[in-house]
Amino acid sequence: MTMMKEGKDADRPPARRRVAALLWLAAVAMAIVAAAGLLQLGAGSYGMTWRQALAALTDGLVWGDRATLAHFFLGRDLAHGLGFGDPGTLPTETLIVWTVRLPRVLVGIMVGINLALSGSIFQAITRNEMASPYLLGVSSGAGLSILVVLVLFPALGPFLPLIAMLGGTAAFVVVYAIAWHHGASPVRLVLAGVIVGAITGSLQAALFFFAKDIAIVQNALAWTTGSLTGVGWEQVRMVAPWTLVCVVLALSGARYLDVLLLGDSTAKSLGMKVEHARFLLAATAILAAASSVAVAGLVGFVGLIVPHIVRNTVGSLHRHLLVGSLFAGPALLVSADTTARLVLSPVQIPVGIVTGVIGGGFFLYLMRRRRDFGKL
Amino acid sequence: MDGLAGSGLVVRYQKHQTPVIDGQSVTIPSGKISVFVGPNGSGKSTLLKALARQLSPEDGSVILDGRDIATLPAREVARRLGILFQENVAPNDLTVEELAYHGRYPHRRIFESVTEEDRNAVAEALRMAGADKLRNRPVSQLSAGQKQLAWIAMLLAQAPHYLFLDEPTTFLDLAHQFDVMELVSRLNRKLGKTILLVVHDLNLAARYADHVFALREGRIVASGTPSEVFTADTLRDVFEVEAQILRDETSGTLCCIPTGRCGMNQETV
Repeated sequence: MTMMKEGKDADRPPARRRVAALLWLAAVAMAIVAAAGLLQLGAGSYGMTWRQALAALTDGLVWGDRATLAHFFLGRDLAHGLGFGDPGTLPTETLIVWTVRLPRVLVGIMVGINLALSGSIFQAITRNEMASPYLLGVSSGAGLSILVVLVLFPALGPFLPLIAMLGGTAAFVVVYAIAWHHGASPVRLVLAGVIVGAITGSLQAALFFFAKDIAIVQNALAWTTGSLTGVGWEQVRMVAPWTLVCVVLALSGARYLDVLLLGDSTAKSLGMKVEHARFLLAATAILAAASSVAVAGLVGFVGLIVPHIVRNTVGSLHRHLLVGSLFAGPALLVSADTTARLVLSPVQIPVGIVTGVIGGGFFLYLMRRRRDFGKL
Repeated sequence: MDGLAGSGLVVRYQKHQTPVIDGQSVTIPSGKISVFVGPNGSGKSTLLKALARQLSPEDGSVILDGRDIATLPAREVARRLGILFQENVAPNDLTVEELAYHGRYPHRRIFESVTEEDRNAVAEALRMAGADKLRNRPVSQLSAGQKQLAWIAMLLAQAPHYLFLDEPTTFLDLAHQFDVMELVSRLNRKLGKTILLVVHDLNLAARYADHVFALREGRIVASGTPSEVFTADTLRDVFEVEAQILRDETSGTLCCIPTGRCGMNQETV
């Protein structure tokens, strides 16, 4: 975070200062992702030095061979379908990095992007800095719908992101309806979100009793705490297209988010179709949250903390805030996941536990420090 | 067919309640400063918002430059008519200049970046509002009067012909009340803007208005020049006060001095 000297800078255009802060933030965030990512690629039961990990990541046998690349990124079926040949044989280090550890980092990056964008959008459209997909019940709604599919209708697996989106939307609508009382105050929204989250949490637990075998329960349990354990290229392919869609939609909505922060009346007087815009932006935020829930489960607090840190650093204009979130989200998630996997090694804990502990503490700190906390 | 007029307007906030505006017709004089006055709850702000399409009337219509305002695209309305609300919110770090740029919203397409025209409009708006020295200051750190100028700058960047201001002076000290009203007056005289204000202070209204509409219980009960409307009889009917009307010798404007409440029996107190 940058500290600004008031007064001295008062007459200088803040825009330049903010762009400089944004560049710094992006650079630091990328360094964190690179460091945590390399650590993640190298460490584990098959240990490597970071040099070995880097060498495996940049291995010419992968990058130089289109068929091998296609098999990783597109999957075997699609790669064959598009006429790519069989992949070449790879050394053990490269194989481990590319098949097991790299997809986990990539999914972490995309989940971080999605949760951070989702939180930034929710905070703007509810004009509430306590809003996040997790606290508004969107994540738990998405989670419940996914668990229903996993436990009761496993055949629908490929549609998980869409199903998660339906569940997330339903939860958001319920939360908004409960909280609405001549407008939705920040505290009412969060309370309603927590209540809906508790209800869906109970329903999720109830579903465990219908599970056919214990493996499903264990899987589902890890998933409700938010975990990247065992994610592979299949999850990369599942979340990547939605991530791209959400990034494009969110960035093109930046100006709308800025105008919404002036309040509904002013936004309307400037010619914005407020309900229209809010609906499309909420859909984007729900899609972003739902697609990350579909691959990583319920990872809490990322959508709350990241927009907060970025706003304090680069200001509240969304063309800066959203871009900053694109970098800071992955930095938080990848470093939290590296911590979750390596700190208590050989035991791996779900990343959601790490973000929950850090994020919960951060939330308390915010509440204590700021008297007018909540309103944006 | 330039001009703004509402006819047969009925506005109700909730069903089955008595209407806040009860079948009123009003024509806002073009190129003039008009003022709505009336006691609390008389429907001044409501009528202003209905004329600006902020509220949809249950019955009646508003014609803006020859077309029904309800059928015009929202951005089209915003390019012709701007409104400043009584209370405004902005993010803590939003600067005056950034706020003014928001006024360009109805002029910009979805992926269009800032054009030369936008830049000129914002610079001109800041200059006219007297806010150019404040351009890099966060709006949240300004005094109430400076804040109002910043918001008016946004309104001017929007470049509408019709400027509606809902109680722009209510929270301001005397000096800033004059700043804002002088600015409004300049915008009318120099740029020919049609201006509609809701004002509580009758003396400000008398000094600056070309035309006054007095409202009571959702109806326009008097309309005309300040000297036609501000009479002891009208003030008694509209505000339930006894008042003396004086004429300021130097400026020629009227001055209302309330002397007491009418209809109040002193002995019941």
